[in-house]
Amino acid sequence: MTEIVMSQTPPILHGPSEKERKYDRQLRLWAASGQAALESANLLLVNSGAGTVGAETLKNLVLPGIGRFAIYDEARVQEADMGVNFFLDDSCLGQSRSQSLTELITELNPDVQGAWYPNEGVQTLDSLLADSPVFTAILYTHPIRPDQLSQLEAYGQQHKTPLVAIHSAGLYSYFQINLPGAFPIVDTHPDETATTDLRLLNPWPELVAFAEGLTKDIDGLDNFEHGHLPYVVILLHYLEQWKAANDGNYPTTYKEKTDFRKVVQAAARTDIPEGGEENFDEAAAAVLKTLAPPSLPSGLKEVFEYEHSDPVEQRSGFWLIADAVKQFYEKHQCLPLPGKLPDMKAQSKVYIQLQGIYKAKARKDAAEILQIVQAAPGGERVDPAEVDLFCKNAAFVKLINATGGGGGANSSGSNKISRADRLKSAAALEFANDETAALTLAPLSLMPIYLALQATSHAVDEPLAADAILAAVAEQVPGAEQYERVVQAAREVERAAGGELHNVSALTGGMVAQELIKIVTKQYIPIDNTCVYDGIAARCQVLRL
Amino acid sequence: MDSATGNGSASFTAPIVPVAAVAPVVPIIGPSQTRDSFNAQTLGRSLNAHVKQSRVLMVGAGGIGCELLKNLVLTGFGEIHIVDLDTIDLSNLNRQFLFRQEHIKKSKALVAKDVAEKFNPAVRIVAHHANIKDSEFSIEWFSSFTIVFNALDNLEARRHVNKMCLAADVPLIESGTTGFNGQVQVIKKGVTACYDCTPKETPKSFPVCTIRSTPSQPIHCIVWGKSYLLNEIFGTSEDESAFDHSADAENAQEIEELRRESEALRKIRQSVGSPDFHQMLFDKVFSTDIVRLRSMEDMWKTRKPPEPLDYKALLEMAADAMAAKDAVVKDDQRVWSLEENLVVLNDSLDRLSKRVLATRDAGNSSSQEAIIVFDKDDDDTLDFVAASANIRSTLFGIDRRSKFDIKQMAGNIIPAIATTNAIVAGLCVLEAFRVLKGEYDKTKEVFLTPFAPARLLASDKCRQPNPDCPVCGVFQTRAYVDLSRATLYDLVEDFLKLQLGYGEKEISVSNEVGILYDPDETDNLGKKLSELGIKPDSFLTITDEDDEDPYVNVVVAIQEVKESLEDKPIKGVSSAVKIPTKPKKTPVPEANGHGSRQQSEAVAEVVPAKRPHPDGPEDAAAAKKAKTAASLVGRDDDDIVVLDDSAGGGAIVIDDD
Repeated sequence: MTEIVMSQTPPILHGPSEKERKYDRQLRLWAASGQAALESANLLLVNSGAGTVGAETLKNLVLPGIGRFAIYDEARVQEADMGVNFFLDDSCLGQSRSQSLTELITELNPDVQGAWYPNEGVQTLDSLLADSPVFTAILYTHPIRPDQLSQLEAYGQQHKTPLVAIHSAGLYSYFQINLPGAFPIVDTHPDETATTDLRLLNPWPELVAFAEGLTKDIDGLDNFEHGHLPYVVILLHYLEQWKAANDGNYPTTYKEKTDFRKVVQAAARTDIPEGGEENFDEAAAAVLKTLAPPSLPSGLKEVFEYEHSDPVEQRSGFWLIADAVKQFYEKHQCLPLPGKLPDMKAQSKVYIQLQGIYKAKARKDAAEILQIVQAAPGGERVDPAEVDLFCKNAAFVKLINATGGGGGANSSGSNKISRADRLKSAAALEFANDETAALTLAPLSLMPIYLALQATSHAVDEPLAADAILAAVAEQVPGAEQYERVVQAAREVERAAGGELHNVSALTGGMVAQELIKIVTKQYIPIDNTCVYDGIAARCQVLRL
Repeated sequence: MDSATGNGSASFTAPIVPVAAVAPVVPIIGPSQTRDSFNAQTLGRSLNAHVKQSRVLMVGAGGIGCELLKNLVLTGFGEIHIVDLDTIDLSNLNRQFLFRQEHIKKSKALVAKDVAEKFNPAVRIVAHHANIKDSEFSIEWFSSFTIVFNALDNLEARRHVNKMCLAADVPLIESGTTGFNGQVQVIKKGVTACYDCTPKETPKSFPVCTIRSTPSQPIHCIVWGKSYLLNEIFGTSEDESAFDHSADAENAQEIEELRRESEALRKIRQSVGSPDFHQMLFDKVFSTDIVRLRSMEDMWKTRKPPEPLDYKALLEMAADAMAAKDAVVKDDQRVWSLEENLVVLNDSLDRLSKRVLATRDAGNSSSQEAIIVFDKDDDDTLDFVAASANIRSTLFGIDRRSKFDIKQMAGNIIPAIATTNAIVAGLCVLEAFRVLKGEYDKTKEVFLTPFAPARLLASDKCRQPNPDCPVCGVFQTRAYVDLSRATLYDLVEDFLKLQLGYGEKEISVSNEVGILYDPDETDNLGKKLSELGIKPDSFLTITDEDDEDPYVNVVVAIQEVKESLEDKPIKGVSSAVKIPTKPKKTPVPEANGHGSRQQSEAVAEVVPAKRPHPDGPEDAAAAKKAKTAASLVGRDDDDIVVLDDSAGGGAIVIDDD
């Protein structure tokens, strides 16, 4: 309806749209592409337990403009809810909690659509999952009924939907991200300074020719020209000299590089009014940072070595491009050039020419990769913009959850066993680290908190006492119940008695939403995969479980 | 209710009790629960009662403030005062969740109160739509609070509240966020480091000549457009804070020329609204002034001289851009061509001129000059600055920028999101629990470490006060003054020498303006303090000039007394005052926390064993940056100069890609 009205009266075209202005402060972090991903997302929150941490998480997703959400919550609003949940007021008493929460949370942002369940049409979680359009991600809060958790896990397997478990009790909380398979991120937002790749040790012919042209009579240049040689050109010139004097080898060791730096420093003219040359200072400063032979960063190596078990996954755009970049790397022994040239002292005309040479090479590399992609089956569907983005970020591409993805399509049974084993070995490692923590000054593990909270994952009807918690821990990780810190955590969880502290849930909701935004936008690197929060020590630990 | 468990009064940091000793737990979730149950359960009854009796002050109701207010209300703090001068803007709504579209332009403090108080009838909220630096917020007033929370976005106000809390001896919980980064710090006089114990980055300024004569980077042209051109044509006068005058003397001749240029520009201001206005302005700043600059041959020996532009010729070439004007103005992501910039400049001049004329017509006296100041969210001023900066960049051979980028650079925009604020506000209240219990040894300084894969938060014991800190490394006392009659003589001879015990020591007295008294500067002695500009709740610094065992610097807070003080016009605090002497040898001020044992955890946090790209020196730099960025964290949105949170280090960061 609104769209029709809009088309009849076009908005005034002054400046960015209202929406851009509203989201201005976040567009500076994840850009229009991230915002578009958020706006097309459809989330499900299965809210159980005391129910605050789910509402707080959702608030932080509704504010930045997630597309739509649904809340499934069977509880009715009680007096105790109002002391801890900001999105419930007195008028909600006795009402459906999902309805009340949905109404108050959608008030936060008119751009967002919310729906609540169970309602007259959809009465169970099962039917909601069966009848809804596919969810982008599902959040659920502990304690949750085991049958509902199984339904969610089955749905996650089937639809490749990320699941996020959240548990907040008293001063403790954790959240756990369960991704449906290997999760690659291209737009990892590396540090600006880390992305400079000048290729000084393997320059391509156009760059070599350009540098030679400017430096063939370097001593004959007048002071202005000499003082405005771009540092890239200076380094290329003296690297050639170095090679000629060193059997064709580049400076590789730290000592050779510092010696080379002295050569560069000595070449600056000092008999001029300024007493030195800024461009030569820049060149000397860049020696250690930029004279690196091309190498394969570990993140990309992991991508190249990843073994697919899922043929559908293998045909996705990311993996087709990754495969093409791998072929490119094998052929050229270097990655596609990102093409960015840092600012440097130079005559504007020369700088623009040099910038053009880097950009042209980057375009050429990207075109070569696009060609390989398009030659592969299914490659014609890949968006060239996606290839460009990959080429620009190739050195920083990151694969999350690589090991967990292997068994994705297999039976959930075998997957569960491996997860249980993983918990045992992670716990053993954490406890072993704690033994030496006094010596290494490492902070103590938060594994005990995870174990104690996790033992109450399904304590839906009544909170567990410490001994029951410890018994449940013993079943999962035999022997863990003996550790004093596990006992202490169990006792603290007992004391919370299933109650949430608003403040801890608010903080946890902030962290969960932050990670979920990374997953939905596929930007920045989300944690892998469990984050435990200890409100007593005011700290966090990320565990891979 | 509370009787549900046997541990209601247990501290949340209670020592471990053997499992066998724990009483069986009665299920507590049920209809008999009250809204207070969960808090009493976890905090323990005594802390929960303490929370309810607390009277707290929250300074700032923006990004962190909204989240914090929600947490304070639901935690049940008895009385909450909010102070904020700001009004609600559209760009706040992506995170300041107490505000909606219909609240735009209303007071943040008042709306926040109205919205939040519905959620806990037991809590009393008092809102002040005012500047925290106003005199009504005196030291006495500050000392009426149990805890003060800073949820501010600018250095100046933070420093002020820090100082007031030290003077009033009220614990302060200081917090800030920038993009994904954030930090929380507990400040308690004499116990933990204060806000100013580590020097803070101050706003970056540029030499006048760099901005006016020899720009070399986009930011120079943007500052020119915003702080010089816009102000000369539509504002009051140069925005002095943007300029660094320290090198003026060396360039006296050029400075004089620039002064004449400004005068000529102000004349053009008279022509606002006339048909020739656009060309007059353009010819002046992009031709006449440039021709003059070019004639300074010395200036261009090592630089490329700027190229003046011809208005008519450029306007002719801009016909296509003119036709697409509306689309161009709207396109803030793409870098505009020179012609497009001219079109935008002229269009913004139309809009700004109209506003000036409308204000002039509305005001009945002509002296009521219409003033327009730069606001990053005011598109008319932003378009003017973006287009004029880009045209200037072009003629100096500097890259042009998109309007989106210029908005960030000119507006000192800090990215800000709901999630970071939620995390930081949650941390603030947790620290408040420790403060309420007086457990300063357990308070933490917490940093968000969003890019450290091992953890999302890093906590650190609170730092000790820096003995050399100019703010808290001093002895503080108060003087109750009858400002109607007290003279500087009364202060020096009676109050300082006799009452505070300086005796025959050589001392100097100064305030933020400068020295009021020292042994060689005695002219002011006969003057009343009020004549010297000393106001209630201002501070005087007393420096002991003796070489032998000098006292530490003393900061005297002036408290006005209305009723007559029997005999003396100035009286000190009732208890005996003993000023400590300076430590014999100045200890090395504790830096940002590296090295000492207690801080090892924080160091470990930011130099994780495995990072995403563990194979280069840039990695260590990035880890270090996480720490630096966190400690520089500026602040939820406006009025601070860290432009780019990805850049750590310096203040204004110029991104030249």
